[in-house]
Amino acid sequence: MKKILNSFAGFLPLGVLWLSPLLAGLLAVLYGGLDGAAWLALFEHPQLWPALVLSIGTGTLSLIISALLAFWIVAGLYGGKLWADCSSLMGGFLSLPHLAFAIGLGFLVTPSGFIARVMGSLAGWAVPPQWVTTQDPYGLSLVAVLVLKEVPFLIWLISALLARPDISQMLKGHFRVSQSLGHGGASVWLRVFIPQILPRLKWPLLIVWFYGASVVDVALAIGPTQPPPLSVIIWADLNNADPAINARGTAGALFLTTALVGLALVWMVLKKIAVPTIWKFFTRGPSRRRTPKITSGMLLLFFCAVYAMVFVVLCVMSIGTLWPYPNLFPTEIRWTAWQQFVLSPAPFLNSLSLAFASTLAALGLAVFWLETVPEKLDAALLVFAIMAIALPSLLIADGQYLAFLRLGLNGTWLGVFLAHLTPVFAYVFIVLKGPYRAFDPRYRSVSLGLNADNYRFWSVVKLGMMKPALAAAAAVGIGVSIAQYVPTQLIASGRLTTLPIEAVTLASGGSRPLMAVFALMLAVVPALAFLLAARFGRKSL
Amino acid sequence: MTLLLENISLTIGDVLLVKSFTITIEAGEIVTLMGPSGSGKSSLLAYIAGDLTHPMYGNGHATLDGVDLIYVPAERRQVGRLFQDDLLFPHLTVGENLLFGVGRGSLKKRQHLVAEALASAQLDGLENRMPDTLSNGQKARVALFRALMAKPHAMLLDEPFSKLDAELRHTIRNYVFAHLRERNIPTLLVTHDREDAPAGGRIFRINNKGELLLA
Amino acid sequence: MKLSRRDLVKAAGAAALLPLFPKAGFAADWAALEAQAKGQTVYFNAWAGSEPINAYIAWAAEQVKVRYGVTLEHVKIADTAEVVRRVRDEVKAGKVEGSADLVWINGENFRAMKAEKLLFGPFANELPNFKYVDTEGKPTTLVDFAEATDGLESPWGMAQLTFFGDGAKISAPPKSMDELVAFAKANPGRVTYPAPPDFHGTTFVKQALYESITDQSFLPLPADKVEFHRAVAPLFDLLDSLHPHLWREGQQFPQSQAQLKQMLADGELLMALTFNPNEPANLAASRELPQSTVAWQHRAGTIGNTHFVAIPINSKAMAGAQVVANFLLLPEAQGRKADLKIWGDPTVLAAAKLSADEAKFFATSVVPGSVTEPAPALPEPHGSWVPLLETAWLESYGT
Repeated sequence: MKKILNSFAGFLPLGVLWLSPLLAGLLAVLYGGLDGAAWLALFEHPQLWPALVLSIGTGTLSLIISALLAFWIVAGLYGGKLWADCSSLMGGFLSLPHLAFAIGLGFLVTPSGFIARVMGSLAGWAVPPQWVTTQDPYGLSLVAVLVLKEVPFLIWLISALLARPDISQMLKGHFRVSQSLGHGGASVWLRVFIPQILPRLKWPLLIVWFYGASVVDVALAIGPTQPPPLSVIIWADLNNADPAINARGTAGALFLTTALVGLALVWMVLKKIAVPTIWKFFTRGPSRRRTPKITSGMLLLFFCAVYAMVFVVLCVMSIGTLWPYPNLFPTEIRWTAWQQFVLSPAPFLNSLSLAFASTLAALGLAVFWLETVPEKLDAALLVFAIMAIALPSLLIADGQYLAFLRLGLNGTWLGVFLAHLTPVFAYVFIVLKGPYRAFDPRYRSVSLGLNADNYRFWSVVKLGMMKPALAAAAAVGIGVSIAQYVPTQLIASGRLTTLPIEAVTLASGGSRPLMAVFALMLAVVPALAFLLAARFGRKSL
Repeated sequence: MTLLLENISLTIGDVLLVKSFTITIEAGEIVTLMGPSGSGKSSLLAYIAGDLTHPMYGNGHATLDGVDLIYVPAERRQVGRLFQDDLLFPHLTVGENLLFGVGRGSLKKRQHLVAEALASAQLDGLENRMPDTLSNGQKARVALFRALMAKPHAMLLDEPFSKLDAELRHTIRNYVFAHLRERNIPTLLVTHDREDAPAGGRIFRINNKGELLLA
Repeated sequence: MKLSRRDLVKAAGAAALLPLFPKAGFAADWAALEAQAKGQTVYFNAWAGSEPINAYIAWAAEQVKVRYGVTLEHVKIADTAEVVRRVRDEVKAGKVEGSADLVWINGENFRAMKAEKLLFGPFANELPNFKYVDTEGKPTTLVDFAEATDGLESPWGMAQLTFFGDGAKISAPPKSMDELVAFAKANPGRVTYPAPPDFHGTTFVKQALYESITDQSFLPLPADKVEFHRAVAPLFDLLDSLHPHLWREGQQFPQSQAQLKQMLADGELLMALTFNPNEPANLAASRELPQSTVAWQHRAGTIGNTHFVAIPINSKAMAGAQVVANFLLLPEAQGRKADLKIWGDPTVLAAAKLSADEAKFFATSVVPGSVTEPAPALPEPHGSWVPLLETAWLESYGT
């Protein structure tokens, strides 16, 4: 009985602060989807089908290319001298929000962008070339941004997986056996490692897939326009003045989600049929092909170069007022954008306060849950956490908007905080769960045996040993909160501006230097959080 | 088939673990190497197989059928290995595991090879089972046959019986030795349990100076 | 969106409360209203994509603080439709004390708020400074997209479709749609316009509609769906002949006017368009465009309109909001707003109604980028044309 009460107590704060807003959002959006006229209007939208194909196409393509490149890099570098650098670099790249990256990359590759200027100054082009780069009709530039951002995410996850003693031990053994059976490194990755790693990555891969197919801010900054991805159409509908069009947006969000979940189910069935056949091919005999060390190293170099260039271009953009083609550098340098940023720091401060508050709350809730609720209930919570991350943020945020309306939470700091907590807690819980549950309970017995009381054990021993995991979870939480665009825009209703809101507003109307300043600030906060987490985490090891 | 080890030394940093070890293992002979843990006996096997890793460093020659293995990539050495764990691939069926080291061929021929191997391992009809549904004894036999089906020219056994319970251990041991002798494969066995050594075989021991002495 | 019974009850409750709101604004007792406004905070929801606009609003905030003790908070928004939606939702949820006190608004958003009774007023014609407004010369100060303002919004600035580019690269700017087609043919890939439903893109399509049909008498009337397609056939013939020569061969369009502007500045395009006739001069002054910038309007006239400020019905600082609206009409404030170095938004006031001292606030000088031959302003077609035009455009070019 006491155990049940304990679990309930562990559940209570989480239920109030996290689960209720999540479920209220989902119920509200389903209820909003009961409007028949909205569905009729949706299916009459002339761009619906091409936009859906575009959304699913860009999402799927970015998933496939990201996974291929991630494994290519990992296979070539794992166990080598560059591996440690590779995984820490990728952790750093990961912290750069998609939006900031898209803004910077956009200016690298547009026809009047930095690359065209370099080539133009060499070839003597008087006018910018008519390249089709950003906003290409097939969304390839959108795919490129997604790939460049998701590869670090996947490599970071794979390296975390490979760093687990049980897995690294197992794979090491498998590597030796495979070699003795005549297989080269590439063959071992293809036939032994990847098939064992992939199933463990199924949720992250699903998240990457759904994210790519439903992202709003990146698509606004760099995606195609005629037709745009379905997410952009839904987004415009949700922000329209006409309630009938808002309802069409809700129907659209439900439709996109249904299409994605349906496709995921189709894939699960296909996988059951296709995978055994694929493995028949892989078991046909040993191949002595070695791992692609050189190309992997070059890929890593390419990633570093792109990220470095994006960063440099953003910095230059932020101080260049007049920067006509084909000049490689602005003709006038002014700090006005930075001054403006300093003079109206509200977006920055709002972003910071939301990030810190939601991350602290998420850490508290997660630790409270892990301390009071038995491990066997983790799986149930995990289902909701994955839902909170994988379901399109359009869907959850629209639902929360509709639900919060009745509670008067829209336009309040509390409402935005709850909307941020939804994904932030989910990520923090997932990051923290593994290390926390792996804690050996015998340490407690040892500590108590050494005359430490429960509090002392918890504060000195357990928190001390959990420090790296807590620091990593905090960094992830801050990064996730800072990057939230869709929920902030809907729930804050203009009463609260944050860094991504300003960046998108500027991308839709204005000053390039100021846009670059916001993109940079958007990048700096999570990057600092990751650096601090790495420093803080390592110290205690 | 003869495995010739010549002047093999192993160092870790400045510390000498194994000092110029020389031995010839005849076809079908099983030589046992004993020593406390950390003495470098497993590393010796890794050196011969070609996957000795930093900070260990090796020196010397291992010649198999007149070819110096040290200049051959690990996957081309045709040196089979068995470990403490069966290390069957959990995502592949028993049949796919067995065929993992077998060169390409017609489907029929490959199915035949699997059936043959399973028959001589007394595991008939298990080719479509997943490894985690097998008993420990069955797993050990599949692991042995997987290694044998790749047609190794030498075998290195790294305490392959240490995790089996006493009763199974005896059976599997005799079973492995019988098959290796039948195929005339020169074998080097590493163990810390004298019981594991085949009766009448040569036994070496590493002393604290890194010298290998006939026990 | 469905209304539950509870919503209706709440909405009714909010309506019942309305008579309790101060009526001071309607009365002549302006001083009392100013007294009431003192200490209030006015949340001004205004599009914030441009630095000069933000800076001007910041100046206005300083002024009303000093002059009337009103705190003006600029709520920066990307799209006014957000505000309409928010106010509607708040009223529906029975929230009497809303989040917006003053909105920068016109066109469709105004029509929606007026139709749904989401606006406070009439108040505009009672403002002391309304007397300066040029209601005869600028009839759009009273009729917003064919919709009578009825005193529910107070005019703030003027707008007229204007094109601009670098005079060093364009010798003869195209001053009609036909000339524009020829210009695009001669300079393939260097001309485009934002895709509707972007506001500027829709305006461009309306302009093309004006110039492609001979009988324009039905444009101020509500559009008839059946007649629509017959009526606009010439428009789509015109666009069909233009699009193959546009940027990306008319397959893709920029998303916004801001992007168009950036592409002009980067040299990717030869010309861009704006709804603020003074914007090109402003951009030249702020060195974002070269000094050789030129601006022009089509000979036969271009679409023009007025933009306004309005007070949502659930504002919790109605007195303060009226004081701010009145301040924005002050010759000093209007003059500063029209100053190219500040913002360059044309005034709604009549020069003839100003005293000599008041007229001094308006600097008149020709600077690089200003429109040298102003053309007449064409009134917006009836608002019901917009969704039909946008849908027809999307069906033809959006897929």
